Amino acid sequence: MSADKETLYKQLADAVVDMDEDQAVATAEAVATAGLDAYEAIEKGLSAGMERAGQLFDEEEYFIPELLMCSDAMYAGMDVLKPHIRQDAVAEKRRVVIGVIQGDTHDIGKNLVKIMLETSGFDVTDLGRDIPPASFVQTAQEIDADIIALSTLMTTTMDGMGEVVRQLNDQGVRDKFKVIVGGGPISQGFADRIGADGYAVNAADAVRLARRLTSPEVAAA
Amino acid sequence: MPNVHFLPANRSIAVEKGTTVLEAARLAGVLIESPCNGAVVCGKCAVHLEPDSLHHIIRRGVHHLSNDQKLAGQVLSCEAEVIGDITVLVPDVAQEDLKITSHGHALAVALAPHVTKEFQPDKGVTAVFHGGEIAYEEEGDTEGETFGVVVDIGTTTLVVSLVDLNTGMELAHASALNPQSRHAQDVLSRIRIACEEKGLSEMRSGVIGEINRLIGQVAGEAEVHQDRIYEVVFSGNTCMLHLAAGINPRSLGQYPYTPELTGGCWMSANDLVLTIAPKGIVYLPPIISAYVGADITAGLQAVRLHEEQGTVLFIDIGTNGEMAIVHEGQVRATSTAAGPAFEGMNITFGMRAGQGAIERFAILKGGDICLKTIGNSPATGICGSGLMDIVAELVRHGVINKNGKFVSPEDPVLLPLLAERLVKIDGKPAFKLTDNVYLSQKDVRQVQLAKGAIRAGVEFLLRHTGVNPVDLDKVLIAGSFGFHLTAESLVTIGLLPAETTGKIEFVGNTAKSGGKAFLLNHNSRIEVQRLVQEVKVVELANCADFDRVFVEVLSF
Repeated sequence: MSADKETLYKQLADAVVDMDEDQAVATAEAVATAGLDAYEAIEKGLSAGMERAGQLFDEEEYFIPELLMCSDAMYAGMDVLKPHIRQDAVAEKRRVVIGVIQGDTHDIGKNLVKIMLETSGFDVTDLGRDIPPASFVQTAQEIDADIIALSTLMTTTMDGMGEVVRQLNDQGVRDKFKVIVGGGPISQGFADRIGADGYAVNAADAVRLARRLTSPEVAAA
Repeated sequence: MPNVHFLPANRSIAVEKGTTVLEAARLAGVLIESPCNGAVVCGKCAVHLEPDSLHHIIRRGVHHLSNDQKLAGQVLSCEAEVIGDITVLVPDVAQEDLKITSHGHALAVALAPHVTKEFQPDKGVTAVFHGGEIAYEEEGDTEGETFGVVVDIGTTTLVVSLVDLNTGMELAHASALNPQSRHAQDVLSRIRIACEEKGLSEMRSGVIGEINRLIGQVAGEAEVHQDRIYEVVFSGNTCMLHLAAGINPRSLGQYPYTPELTGGCWMSANDLVLTIAPKGIVYLPPIISAYVGADITAGLQAVRLHEEQGTVLFIDIGTNGEMAIVHEGQVRATSTAAGPAFEGMNITFGMRAGQGAIERFAILKGGDICLKTIGNSPATGICGSGLMDIVAELVRHGVINKNGKFVSPEDPVLLPLLAERLVKIDGKPAFKLTDNVYLSQKDVRQVQLAKGAIRAGVEFLLRHTGVNPVDLDKVLIAGSFGFHLTAESLVTIGLLPAETTGKIEFVGNTAKSGGKAFLLNHNSRIEVQRLVQEVKVVELANCADFDRVFVEVLSF
């Protein structure tokens, strides 16, 4: 039985990496039929596959279209498994509020990061694009977010990211959130200058960064 | 405070600790090429430091410099912070080597300039008319000397041409690097700098100074008095016109991207500090939108797009792919954020079209490669046209697969000579072009993003027009860049749909040729003003499934 379980999880992961939606659905159904823990299947199967896809993206094997097709397979499998998740099995998810900063409407990069975070087990609230700094601050407090993720493609709007940090400071809530930034004109240097907690060069990197910043040691520090 | 000494300029400045080398250079008035404006993304602002000086800086990142470069004492000026006295060797800005296209296709216009003159023997004066209305009088008979100038204010280059308004003949032309490009290569960084009064004033005076120098040069060459130049036509993208006119471009950089200046108007040359006739005027053609500028208006005029009977697409390939389509007399226009890859930026060995840039590339039958560099000098980098050729040839020969990935060197379909060139650099796949110059996997991805943006724009223009690629009768490619491109490469990399094969024409610098038409024919301005009002702008930011289409057209 245990070997079967491992095989099914591996098949789920492979279906994601191979961008095979049908296989992901079929395997997810097999998991459900076998009465396996749906939550564990998502974690060790689908999410593990997405992680591998992220690595391939980093290694320049996969590009944006492949990553999106992987996530399609992932979501297809999730749709099958979700109704089978036992409430008690669910671990508390880390929450992220994400959006494109005010003045900018280019959101392809933000959407990719959102997908990668979601498929890695984060609970993502997407504010959309052209979002005023105050909205990030407000929503983050409302949903008790762990991370505020800011994106922009335009050099002309990047100063809005610094404004988010400033407002968090002004309201005395800076310590409650980790602020991460990314996008075409953004760099580690910029992130340091505005006092953000991190910079991610791409969507896969954003997941690593978010995990690192929410790991118990860092979160406690 | 630490002292920073710049060579070869031999200028020194004392700065606060923590100031970057680039900031110090700007304070000292030393130019370092910094196309990304210090965002630490382009890797082009490398300078050389004396060995002792290396201990007096802190490097903030590890962007873009190879180990060899670092060992040789190179640092990126935008991320190296000064903590002690240093000596910096700044590389030359090789502007004389730039290859600039100054000719463009244009249909002939009747000679009917906006500025005309008439000698009045009874008064001994010459009357100067603006659009048929008397504007002022000049002493003596100057009827025979009536000149005008067209300035194409490109983001990268300036082209100035001197025209005899009595004959319509072009007497001389000259070109130079737009001095703003040393501060920031891209339009958005310039908008950011110019949001501040000081930045705007620097940007404005820089470009106006260079235009004045070029006007002086062409006037000298043609032996024309500068005060006999009565009108200047500015052609250029929306941001360039804002900056040259000294108008704050802030609104261009923020959604909903509204231009402050709409064009279709005149300004006084005196106000703009242009050295022409004291009462000379400057015509700014109508602007279509924040990212479809007067250069496209001029282009529409040059190719008479609105008069085309069939369905014709017009594209200016640049950092912003600006494009327009006409179908049944209706013109639609849009622009896409292609990014600077086709200008050689964001590419490991990318460079502008200067000496040593690979501009053409082909793979021969047996798998040998053949490359041509500008000036036939040893290859030092890759410019935009070379980049397109290289990627297209590698796609054609199976070195890059449909998804944009380099195939494995062991792949049996590869010609052995090509397989040998597939190497790993820093553990990542790359294609060796010469011993020193290669194309990385990441570079291919940049090309995919750039061409995908333009192709997605084309797809949405077609969709809004209600036609299919096969319905296109012609595709006109404008821009100085267009001339250096081969049509097949554009189709092979999928920047244009396959159905456009055999329908592609290069029309050159229509920003200039269209500007010249405006200069020579007053009526063309009235006509184009009407046309611009009828152009429908397709705002891609508001197209719901832009994401999906963009992703679909990323592959080759």
